[in-house]
Amino acid sequence: MDLFANLATGFAVALTPANIGFCFLGALIGTLVGVLPGIAPITTIAILLPFTFSLPPASSLIMLAGIFYGAQYGGSTTAILVNVPGESSAIVTCIDGHQMAKQGRAGPALAIAAISSFVAGTIATIVIATASAPMSWLALKFNAAEYFSLMVLGLTGAVVLAHGAPEKAVAMVLVGLLLGLVGIDVNTGAPRMTMDLAGLGDGIGFVPVAIGLFGIAELAVTLGRPHERQLLSVKFRDLWPSWAELRACTPAMLRGTALGSVLGVLPGGGAALSSFAAYAVEKKMSRTPERFGRGAIEGVAAPEAANNAGAQTSFIPLLTLGIPGNAIMALMVGAMMIQGIQPGPQVMTAQPQLFWGVIASMWLGNLMLVVLNLPMIGLWVSLLRVPYRLLFPMIVLFCCIGTYSVGNTVFDIWVMLLFGVLGVFFYKVGAEPAPFILGFILGPLMEENFRRAMYLSRGNPMTFIERPISAVLLAMSLALLVILVLPAVKQKRGEVFKE
Amino acid sequence: MVTRLNVPDLAFAAFLVALGALAFALAGELSIGSAAAMGPGYVPRGLALIIMVYGLVLGVRAAFSGGVAFPEVAWRPLLLISASVALFAVLLPLAGLALTSLAVVICAGLAAYDVRLRENAVLALALAIFAVLLFVTVLGLPIPVWPR
Repeated sequence: MDLFANLATGFAVALTPANIGFCFLGALIGTLVGVLPGIAPITTIAILLPFTFSLPPASSLIMLAGIFYGAQYGGSTTAILVNVPGESSAIVTCIDGHQMAKQGRAGPALAIAAISSFVAGTIATIVIATASAPMSWLALKFNAAEYFSLMVLGLTGAVVLAHGAPEKAVAMVLVGLLLGLVGIDVNTGAPRMTMDLAGLGDGIGFVPVAIGLFGIAELAVTLGRPHERQLLSVKFRDLWPSWAELRACTPAMLRGTALGSVLGVLPGGGAALSSFAAYAVEKKMSRTPERFGRGAIEGVAAPEAANNAGAQTSFIPLLTLGIPGNAIMALMVGAMMIQGIQPGPQVMTAQPQLFWGVIASMWLGNLMLVVLNLPMIGLWVSLLRVPYRLLFPMIVLFCCIGTYSVGNTVFDIWVMLLFGVLGVFFYKVGAEPAPFILGFILGPLMEENFRRAMYLSRGNPMTFIERPISAVLLAMSLALLVILVLPAVKQKRGEVFKE
Repeated sequence: MVTRLNVPDLAFAAFLVALGALAFALAGELSIGSAAAMGPGYVPRGLALIIMVYGLVLGVRAAFSGGVAFPEVAWRPLLLISASVALFAVLLPLAGLALTSLAVVICAGLAAYDVRLRENAVLALALAIFAVLLFVTVLGLPIPVWPR
């Protein structure tokens, strides 16, 4: 079985002292930031991106992945204790988790969240390891037309699953695609839409755009909102759940993991969607649905398992196809490209150490979260008492230094500022930045494959539907769009996002 | 403000049309080529055109879907955060990281409605020292620390 040999390769990379260190650092920073409301995981990753560039590629990705699932974990801590989801995938955890905390069972709620995350993380790691090989094999059969259609599917998924109005998400994808094209054209060397600015020769920088939209804009919006935080004084008499509770949770945990693993792979999917779906499923399947919303421990276990599984399997399309399924994965693509790695199926065969090392580190990181973070819950809670006014000036400074350090030019700072202001505008008009960043990353790739496919077919656009795999992918995109405009789904979608 | 227009949607539509028009103009000199051998201008101009038309459609719809005012903008955080970023861009090449950090943090701190001046000053000093130590001493970024 190759699987074990591959995982062994991975652990050999992940278990070097330096990489253990970066994994730990990532998980720690991620948790820290996940705990602090007002700083989403995507913001953290965007801000910390530049600081990982000097690391070797594997270490850099290991650390970024650590930040990602650390934030996931930290988000559930605040959801349970303060009823403030640190990030969107923890929103459902608030419902029953916070009720448990109010009933004095904060300890078991936190523990079950951690255990569920770990179980899900372990299973998802195995899923990634087994699913990656066939996915890459399939991807190697892909040609330009298939790649183009696959990206269409990815972007459609992003539109369907975006919060807010889908027609605005479509517009944001288009704008992202367009702005992604700025810079020197790879095929002809002609500078495009650069307004003769030297700083735009290599295109609009990915880091300033991401930090502007997700860092600066986020701060300006958060500061404009009145924020109230009531802290629940929690006693940690009994941290551990009883055996009966554990037994009650196990099926919920496994169902959540399965659901999350599947939904995470879908384009546009990932952690948030998985946790919503898992909660809904548990409530439906339970013999005592009335307990949900009043501190049902399954209501914590299932979504926590699902969001962690989903977060991890959303790496599958990225690692095997080179296509990011959601905005956070788009940032990962940015990180890989700046490291000089073109994401795609060839990564697995050409750089097995990197590929399997990152996967093995995910399991390691999940273990660290349980072993190191549960005893530190007291510390995380005390962090919540730090007022926001002391935090955000530091974030502004870090955004600036991070952006500057990528190219050592203040031009990027001005780009970041522009996108920060644009981000506030997008927020005010109800347009999501996530589809934008996906389009922005995919723009050049999509154009290249489109041009190549059209060249190969001598200008015949029918090539996209005459090639079977491409046709299936396009049909799936179309189906997604049709589902989206069906009135019944529209209503349901509204309900899901309303919560 | 009483309005019969959907102002946020209209603003977004206007943004799309303006951006599409700008991109279309900028891509104007690039050759289009043919469908089989696309020039550098083919896709950008196509996209710009699609965005403009899409924006127009959204705009027309917004004009008739009525009655939403533009949400209130919290100007103080927006302006002061922007100012602090601009300050960084202007000051860094002149004054070096230490003084720039000080200025950026003080300016950004004022963006909070509950700012306390003395606390903010102390924070700025602490963060300036921290930034220099972390980014220049530990991470070794090639950023000048002092004015030259």
